[in-house]
Amino acid sequence: MSAFEPKIITFLCNWCSYVAADAAGVSRFMQQTNVRVIRVFCSGMVDPSYVIKAFDGGADGVLVGGCFPGDCHYISGNIKAMRRAPLLAKLLNELGVEKERFRLEWIAASDSALYARVVNEMCDTIRRLGPFTMRRKAG
Amino acid sequence: MNRKSKKKFAVFAGTGCRACEKAILDIHYQVHSLSPWTDIVFWPYVLGSRWEDLDDDVGIDVCFFIGAIRTSEERKAARRLREKAGILVACGACAAYGGLPGLDNLSYAECGRVESEPEDSDLIPSVPSIESRVSSLSQIVAVDFVIPGCPPTQNLLWAAMQALICGPESLTKLSYTVARLPENISRAITAGILPPNGSVFAGEKAVCASCSRLKEEKKFKTVIRPYQKYEESGRCLLEQGLVCLGISTREGCGGICTAVGQPCRGCFGKPEGVYDPGAKMVSAISSTFESESAQEIETMVDAFEDLTGTFYRYTLPSQCSLMSKPQEE
Amino acid sequence: MTKRLTIESIRWQEEPAKVTIFRNGDKTDIFFQITSAKNIQGMCRGRPVEELPRIMPVIAPAHHLAAARVLDSLFNVEPPPMALNMRAGLLQAQYTTSHLRKLYFLLSHWVCPFEDFRAAERRHRHMKSVHRMLHDIMHHLALAQEAEVIIGGRNDHPLSAVAGGVSRFLKEGLYERLAEIAESCVLFAPRLGEFFRTEMFNDGKAMDEFRAVEIHPMAMITLAGAEKSIVLKGVTGKETDSFPVARAFEKIGLHTEGWTHMPFAYVMEKGWKGLQAEQTGSLCFVGPLARLNGGEPLTSPMAEKERRHLIEMLGPFPHFGVVAAYGALLVELIQAAEYMKELFVQEKLTGPSIRIIPSEMNRSGCAAIESPEGLIFHEYKVNGRGVVENVRVMDAATANNALRCVIVQKVVSDAMTEGLDLSAIKSRVEISLLPF
Repeated sequence: MSAFEPKIITFLCNWCSYVAADAAGVSRFMQQTNVRVIRVFCSGMVDPSYVIKAFDGGADGVLVGGCFPGDCHYISGNIKAMRRAPLLAKLLNELGVEKERFRLEWIAASDSALYARVVNEMCDTIRRLGPFTMRRKAG
Repeated sequence: MNRKSKKKFAVFAGTGCRACEKAILDIHYQVHSLSPWTDIVFWPYVLGSRWEDLDDDVGIDVCFFIGAIRTSEERKAARRLREKAGILVACGACAAYGGLPGLDNLSYAECGRVESEPEDSDLIPSVPSIESRVSSLSQIVAVDFVIPGCPPTQNLLWAAMQALICGPESLTKLSYTVARLPENISRAITAGILPPNGSVFAGEKAVCASCSRLKEEKKFKTVIRPYQKYEESGRCLLEQGLVCLGISTREGCGGICTAVGQPCRGCFGKPEGVYDPGAKMVSAISSTFESESAQEIETMVDAFEDLTGTFYRYTLPSQCSLMSKPQEE
Repeated sequence: MTKRLTIESIRWQEEPAKVTIFRNGDKTDIFFQITSAKNIQGMCRGRPVEELPRIMPVIAPAHHLAAARVLDSLFNVEPPPMALNMRAGLLQAQYTTSHLRKLYFLLSHWVCPFEDFRAAERRHRHMKSVHRMLHDIMHHLALAQEAEVIIGGRNDHPLSAVAGGVSRFLKEGLYERLAEIAESCVLFAPRLGEFFRTEMFNDGKAMDEFRAVEIHPMAMITLAGAEKSIVLKGVTGKETDSFPVARAFEKIGLHTEGWTHMPFAYVMEKGWKGLQAEQTGSLCFVGPLARLNGGEPLTSPMAEKERRHLIEMLGPFPHFGVVAAYGALLVELIQAAEYMKELFVQEKLTGPSIRIIPSEMNRSGCAAIESPEGLIFHEYKVNGRGVVENVRVMDAATANNALRCVIVQKVVSDAMTEGLDLSAIKSRVEISLLPF
């Protein structure tokens, strides 16, 4: 019985965090391989239902990566993501998703080291938490 | 109209209240006008029917199943009626989505539950055991049609009965009943054929489309609870800061609750095109926040209470994606 | 060797129910079982407390008003007179619907309610008046429901009663409509009363076999006039104890048995003594009959007249039988119609404000009202954020669970002694349980 390896879905915005992720690979930063990347054009286009669908589909963690506030290619897309995150995190928490499993991070295009660090942190934390098991009933 | 071609109609209720059955009985007290088209062969609440009445060669043409599945007996009843009935309709929010009894899936304690005897002893009879989870009908058997609502509004119930029981000889007064239904269903009813399998007898859009309140600009400043002050005159409730589920709820009721000044609580289930009603509400509400400060938003979000119990009030067992997987047999 | 007989389903009951009979030689044990449970506590814990008036109607429609009353007490607000009148009007409309429904079911024992009336009348000429009456009952049921929708928003699951009042003014033309509805009910209810007395109870012999269905006298609980206290009446109909609503759950306890999903209410001071038909010392019941058993004259004249007819027919109160219970429904129907006529006037239903906005919140609240089915009381405990921590609800079905068991025991054992077959026993049980 092999040890549990988490599946982490990341939604990375095309202009900043995806570039950082790409650069992290090219620069050969050590990254754990549990991450599945979905490139989106802006973190603001990540609808809360994508996040829930990811957990429903078997993800153990979800990361949304966007540009720093003020740097968004579409001016305020990342602000929209920032506005959604707390309410979504609250709902997820009530549904049994621990807060470490869902993160919204600002990752600049040049900061590939940050990307690698965030990814590795999440993998370690979620590996400790264990697989996300859907509750069929509370308790 | 000879007796042989009369449709056999059955109504059965699981766990819930009796509002749906009373709603059927009371359709402008016209239920008696169904007698040329249908024989009611099984209705425990009104006729006291027993399961033996359904033995062997008595098939059922249309069965309205009401109520959520909570006990082992109800699960068996659902399977048995699915076998016997040509068309099985989930009538009411409990059968369709789990309804209010489904909220029990959120409770932590086994409160007030009787430790029932699994079998008769020599001295006392057994009662059906309560399952660990409340389920909707569609999570147990395949359902042909759905009539949502708590209870379903009479015009939609009547439209469903016209469509499924009366067939080609549909009665008059249909025009108002089909008015809010999607085109494919209303066309089928007027043509006298069955609507497509899986149809929901309600609208396709969200309640906002039929709500009579004025929608101006959506900006959520702070969330308010219904006992606090808000204008009761005419303006959209979500805009005033109340959590109103109209955006993530199927229309068809005509906006009854918002018309009385109460926010919608989603008894018609989610509309077409929405994956998860809770996610939709998060998106709808948070997209209207004006602040650009993460701290302010955290403070505002903290004031919200019981998101799960509110967003999934009637649909927890079946439409809450993260809590709806039925148990393994 | 235990022989087992089952009678199911018991129709006209709000919960799924069946009767199981165990025969072991000479010994016969009869069980009235409720086969499912809603678990209202599970549904309410964790909800914001102001949502409870929208969740509670799943038990019965009048629980909406009881929940709103609890909120009034929790938030320390007293609704303005207009809102109280609207709520009272809604309650009377609910009385009308609930009682009419029971009489409709009773008549459906003899005539099929799904037949077209005109065709049925032609076919069964001797039952013509019964068909007409069934049609009239349904017509007034629809009217009462219209009144419920006008005031409450929806009929079986109303929504307009909120903490401190109601949620919306009535629209202009609706006062006249409500007055029309009240007028129609006032004309109909005495006519219905007379029909039942002359055709069903006295001369019609239809209810003869039920005249004998009486239970051993039992205590009753009802609400005292001011709504603030509950009265326990002894078997003579006279008050033996009275206590504030806040102490209700200390006085009325709940006993569970493994063979039914619904608990039994009983008087805690007496201790649980069981459900034997002759030993009803610790049991109690609620409902129209319990309300009339005090024997006090009623303030509404036409209802009082009907009550006197009932006394002429059956003797003075208290009564503990099935026919008296049906008679009580008729009396209350007339009373509800008269109250509606009083309430549905423009002066009573208009005013400057529909609700008082709360400015403080206690940690608990309680209230009791007389619902159509009987006395109900609620108690809620909330945390500092107004989220429900615990609810305790006494609904009329639980309060009358013991009564129903005792009736079933009596009816079944008498019927078995007479040698009736199961389906005749079933009808007797159903008709005997219906009015309670």
